[in-house]
Amino acid sequence: MTGTTTENPTRLKRSEWLQDHILYPSIGFGILIGLWALGGWLLAMSPETSNFTKFGLLPTLKAVPGLISSGYIAEHIWASGYRLAIGLILAILVGVPIGIAIGLSKITEQISNEPFQLLRMVSPLSWMPIVVFVFPKWDQAIIFLITVAAIWPVVYATAAGLKKVDPAWFKVSKNLGASFRQLLSEVIFPAIAFDIFTGIRLSLGIAWVVLVPAELLGVSSGLGYAIKDARETLAYDQLTAMVVVIGILGFILDSFVARMVKRYSWQRDL
Amino acid sequence: MVGAIIARVFYSLVGLSILFGLWWYGGWLLESNPATMGFADFGPGPTYDAIPYLFGEGIIQEASITSGSRLGIGLLLAIVTGIPIGILMGRSKVFKKLSNTPFQFLRMVSPLSWEPIAVIALPTWNQAIIFLISMAAVWPIAFATAAGLAKLDPAWFKVARNLGATWLDVLKEIILPAIAFDVLTGIRLALGVAWIVIVPAEFLGITSGLGYTIQDSRENLDYASLAVTILVIGVIGFLMDGICLAAIKRFSWHHK
Repeated sequence: MTGTTTENPTRLKRSEWLQDHILYPSIGFGILIGLWALGGWLLAMSPETSNFTKFGLLPTLKAVPGLISSGYIAEHIWASGYRLAIGLILAILVGVPIGIAIGLSKITEQISNEPFQLLRMVSPLSWMPIVVFVFPKWDQAIIFLITVAAIWPVVYATAAGLKKVDPAWFKVSKNLGASFRQLLSEVIFPAIAFDIFTGIRLSLGIAWVVLVPAELLGVSSGLGYAIKDARETLAYDQLTAMVVVIGILGFILDSFVARMVKRYSWQRDL
Repeated sequence: MVGAIIARVFYSLVGLSILFGLWWYGGWLLESNPATMGFADFGPGPTYDAIPYLFGEGIIQEASITSGSRLGIGLLLAIVTGIPIGILMGRSKVFKKLSNTPFQFLRMVSPLSWEPIAVIALPTWNQAIIFLISMAAVWPIAFATAAGLAKLDPAWFKVARNLGATWLDVLKEIILPAIAFDVLTGIRLALGVAWIVIVPAEFLGITSGLGYTIQDSRENLDYASLAVTILVIGVIGFLMDGICLAAIKRFSWHHK
């Protein structure tokens, strides 16, 4: 080994990739875990807070295998995942057409602007008392809250994406005899897929924020309920375990959508 | 120019009227069905009737000010911690690589799941709510600041150094003006998330704020007050978002 100059470039790239994707994230995560362990140790040291020692790293790690093997974690993940998925799908199904209507027509944009901004800025959880009356089931009420929170980023990202589309493309495709459907499937969707996924990523983040408080009331399943349940039974190790589960799950979902955003990006300079 | 403004106002009024019409129609549907008549107070008529009382007693003002101060302190804390974190991420490659995974993980912990921990760790509920707001709002600000810095031309720093600028000069004369737009964009996103978080955060433990007012009117089956509170939350959110948007436009140096 005389130095990096003699190494071949692909190997250099690989070691760089390992550094960026394995080494640094591991050290960073290690620091976070270290801080957590330190916090737990401080709690255990002081007699005033020793009741809360279970928030620490080790008690939490000890609780995890039991929570996994009893199916507790899986059960609540499925309950929340189902609500999140249906809520997001509804938001996309309703949001994308609205976004297209806003992006294509100036009049729709101007008419809808104030009412939509007003509705968007009503904090989603304030609808809760109403939706609980309107829907026969709590499950449906939670899905509605997720949809109502998640729809706006999809709408506005879709509209913003359409505005960036070169109007000449519409003319060209019309001259080539494209039908409205072809225009939609061959021009509009490929052009705005990137923006739609960017919107979905934002929507996912907001839906994830709304999901937990929406599940704090009424239902007896889901990640929000698991948090409340752990608090009420003073099972602090279970509580921190669920917080970590929520973080990891959110992280995985977000990375997945971020990958889709990259995959559909046709603006190479981004 | 004047014509464009008139058209703009006209379309806004049309849009708001449609929204109001739908609300009125919903209220009428509730009222005309015997099974849902008890909820007819959600309609615009009873809601309008409830406004003088709620404002006259100062209930809405008090709730808005209480929530507003929690939101203000929470956002301020998020800005004060988020901008330096963002600058560190944007300026130091090593810090960015180290912090990216843990920060993405923390960002994706749904803020309300911190609530039990915050309530135990902090002496008052008020502080716990402010903590939840900060925890939700810090990430958009940090990541927007970092993204803004990433767009800066490195040559500017060289020029500044050649002209003898100190570290403080670089911060004040180059970094802050250049990223003001991105920071404000981040603050706008943070405000949106904070506004989502504050209502459920105020559902528990305390007896003040807009979230509590929602909870309280539901428990008293006072649907007119509930509808007024929802409307007030929407209008305040709309105004704050509008202010952020105006500030973003003002500090934009990307002339699109």
